Amino acid sequence: MRIESAKHLQQLQGEYSADLNRFPQKVLVCCGPGCLANGSEKIFNEFKKILSAKKIQGITVEALKKTGCHGFCAQGPLVVIEPQGIFYTRVQVKSVAEIIEKTLAGKEVIPRLLYVSPENGRKIENYKEIPFYSNQMRISLRNVGKIDPENIRDYIALGGYQALAKALTTMQPQQVIDEVNKSGIRGRGGAGFPTGRKWDTCRKAESDIRYVICNGDEGDPGAFMDRCIMEGDPHSILEGMIICAYAIGSTSGYIYVREEYPLAVINLQKAVEAAREYSLLGENILDSKLDFDIKINRGGGAFVCGESSALMKSVAGDVGEPRAKYIRSVIKGLHDKPTVLNNVETLATIPVIMNNGSDAFASIGTKKSAGTKAFSLAGKIKNTGLIEVPMGTTLRKIIFDIGGGIPNKRQFKAVQTGGPSGGCLPESKLDLPVDFDTLTEAGSMMGSGGMIIMDDRTCMVDVAKYFLNFLVYESCGKCVPCREGLYQLYTLCNNITEGNGKEGDLELMENLSQNIQIGSLCGLGQSGPNPFLSTLMYFREEYETHIREKKCPAGVCRSLITYEITDDCTGCLACIKVCPVSAITGQKKKKHFLNQQICDRCGSCYDVCQFNAIIIK
Amino acid sequence: MVTIQINGKLVQAEKGEMLIAVIRRQRIDIPALCHHDAVEPCGSCRLCMVEITKKDWDGWSKFVTSCLYPVEPDLIVSTHSPRVVELRKTILDLYLARSPKSEIIQRMAAEYGITQTSYQEVPDGDNCIMCYACTRVCEELGCNAISAVQRGHKKIIAPPLGEPPVDCVGCLSCANICPTHFIEWNDDNGKRTIWGKQFELVSCKICGKKTITRDFAEYLVRKRNIPANYFEICDDCKRTELTKSMGKIVIAAQEISK
Amino acid sequence: MKYRFVIDPVLCTGCRTCELACAFSHAKNLKQGRSRIYPLSHAQDKYVPITCLQCDDAACVKSCFFNALRRNEITGAIELDLNRCVKCMACVAACPFGCALFDDIHNEVVKCDLCKGDPACAHFCPTKALKYTKL
Repeated sequence: MRIESAKHLQQLQGEYSADLNRFPQKVLVCCGPGCLANGSEKIFNEFKKILSAKKIQGITVEALKKTGCHGFCAQGPLVVIEPQGIFYTRVQVKSVAEIIEKTLAGKEVIPRLLYVSPENGRKIENYKEIPFYSNQMRISLRNVGKIDPENIRDYIALGGYQALAKALTTMQPQQVIDEVNKSGIRGRGGAGFPTGRKWDTCRKAESDIRYVICNGDEGDPGAFMDRCIMEGDPHSILEGMIICAYAIGSTSGYIYVREEYPLAVINLQKAVEAAREYSLLGENILDSKLDFDIKINRGGGAFVCGESSALMKSVAGDVGEPRAKYIRSVIKGLHDKPTVLNNVETLATIPVIMNNGSDAFASIGTKKSAGTKAFSLAGKIKNTGLIEVPMGTTLRKIIFDIGGGIPNKRQFKAVQTGGPSGGCLPESKLDLPVDFDTLTEAGSMMGSGGMIIMDDRTCMVDVAKYFLNFLVYESCGKCVPCREGLYQLYTLCNNITEGNGKEGDLELMENLSQNIQIGSLCGLGQSGPNPFLSTLMYFREEYETHIREKKCPAGVCRSLITYEITDDCTGCLACIKVCPVSAITGQKKKKHFLNQQICDRCGSCYDVCQFNAIIIK
Repeated sequence: MVTIQINGKLVQAEKGEMLIAVIRRQRIDIPALCHHDAVEPCGSCRLCMVEITKKDWDGWSKFVTSCLYPVEPDLIVSTHSPRVVELRKTILDLYLARSPKSEIIQRMAAEYGITQTSYQEVPDGDNCIMCYACTRVCEELGCNAISAVQRGHKKIIAPPLGEPPVDCVGCLSCANICPTHFIEWNDDNGKRTIWGKQFELVSCKICGKKTITRDFAEYLVRKRNIPANYFEICDDCKRTELTKSMGKIVIAAQEISK
Repeated sequence: MKYRFVIDPVLCTGCRTCELACAFSHAKNLKQGRSRIYPLSHAQDKYVPITCLQCDDAACVKSCFFNALRRNEITGAIELDLNRCVKCMACVAACPFGCALFDDIHNEVVKCDLCKGDPACAHFCPTKALKYTKL
């Protein structure tokens, strides 16, 4: 099938959309990473088996869609029945027949599978009424969870590639750049560089060849926004890339995806093949004389390859190590040619800007950070999942209204934003509007959008140690401040958690951190000390308690805590059974005894005790 | 030509020249371990960092590696500002924790007043400071026999798969350029060993003196079109041979003139 | 090239003043350098001063991978830039006349650089067997 022109595309949209809407109801089975892990593939297959066997109320197997991530991972596996928007949570294979019989055939809702509001216990039928969804605004995630990512027709039916057609037929390349510029969109990868300005510089750089690269090397622990877009709506990325290619005058593009995202690689590959088949990639795209093709490049999983110059070296086939960027990559990037490198989310947002105009986009969010931003919520939060909110939304709204707050009646302690290069913000910063500049001012950063929420049982020294360890392992090892400096910072931090911290350590670490920041070659090293510096800024007393009193207030650092059994012990034997090193002895209905010499301080007994008879000292 | 200011003094520099060359021409001593004129700059040792600013930067300044920063008009460079000195001290301190036995590190650190590292010595720390001079020199030769492998703090320089490198010609450039003399090699009984690979040394046909490795001679013949017979005798014997043939010409010329 | 280094072996008495002059003019750290010129005997009392011929298509230049050997267009000498030299010994092995040398004392490769336009050997040669003349 070759799409000849913009007009032809419009005609196809009508056809596909009618085709899609010919069923009275649609079944959307979430096959995002969270739900897949909970077995949604089996649920999909079960639906497929039953619907293939018989047609129910005009619904055939074609009305069944295997979609990308719906976002509400904590409640997965999820099944949504459209157009009613019935939202079934924690679906099991055995419930599938029931859903088909009652909901599809009988138009009857199954209350057992509905989402229960934790506030009043009310069952909510339509997902649009759940606070998790009602507080969101989805732009880059607009199609994720709504379409079958493997099917280009679904994307076209929902208005896909119309933005491309508009740009190619009604706008000059410079106009496209001006439009992106006016929208005020800033790079979603973390640094927040204005996208329009990047494109403009690249277009004006003198060269015969230019490249467009999509950065899908999302490596921050706890971040999965880009993954969900690549898996759930790959065509929106392609569309963004083709528009960029037209704007800067490029004929060749790359998508750099990490190998750890196999489904993203497969779906992108399928999308590229489909786009080629429909002549949306290749020569003379939509009869506009634009030639452009995309190659998928799989990264080996090195965190540093998300850094622009390391990524470009990796694409070129070299060892992924950053280079000094006194000449920027928009002037001299891949193969020393001008290169635009944009994040997945940025590129997926471009078509919306083209379709709705820059003013509409600029009106969302804050003055300096326009639009929306996707975040992944992870850690100690009730509603783990993927969300998208306008810039400027407060952390409190994200964590408590959308995220549902902290589970197990614990207290909020800190939120880690921006991945390993970001920082931890305490409760006093919860009312900060989230945008590029405020987070940086507060000592953290926007980063790619991963948010890890921590409760009061989290030790901040331990958190800093965890991220430093990650960075020591993921540093490329090229320059000294990053390789040796972060290693020493980690060693000092580790000493503190083991009770070997000394007076003066914090000052030494601060001085070292400052020099790592100015001395490192690339962004990884320059922002490497952030996990330490931000936790020190807001939780200095916690470090001091570790050093001076050799105590871990949160009860995490094993060398600094002891577990004790109090008189509340009922002698239930539960802790004896669970202790991996047999440190607990005792008889039924008599207070148990914990041998401190043997105790490994793993905390299993603490977790299992129903009577709060085990305390941490 | 471009005019820049270094430590308050106006200095002329060629366009496109790297800052380090201009600074060193002024006989200003700035340390560097990974810099070598024979190879492309890489900026891994961070010791040659300087602070730069311009009049219109509103007091803002940045830190750059002078080996990689091309001169720009009106640049104001400080090679020993307090922050730069502090940075160099920290880096040397870190080096000293990693390679406490390296003489060049000890000497450089001492010049900045550091005789004992403030940090914990790295367990099994060796004298390799990962300056990439060896890999760059090998790349320049076109051999690419060794490279940096692994990541982060575990990174080492090694031949592919840790096996004797197929592409190595045994020229010793890597060992010679290594600032800490970390790369081990050995010539013994007409054989040279480096990177676990053994090479035959060419013997002079006349006196038997050992010159370069057979592999390197063949490499020069192949890559640089040098006649193979040039490598058959050593430089001493070549001069003697030259004297003999020149002598014959001199005698013949004298007889003709008689 | 405006000058040429001329050797007249007939005039050479083998006094080795040139060697001395060369070693002293290339002294470093108060130690003499290795002489780049050698008057060698080819018969009884007959000598030829052997030094770099500054070949047009020089094997040493071709053999250097680091561009350390370059011709000085004014003096005509092929000069070795020690900052670029990694002592791979390619030039020492490649020179067909054995005139690229290794100086053990200073641990570096040396070759005749015509003393940047004022060769000490020619300056001190008592019999004018060595001359540096204008073309």
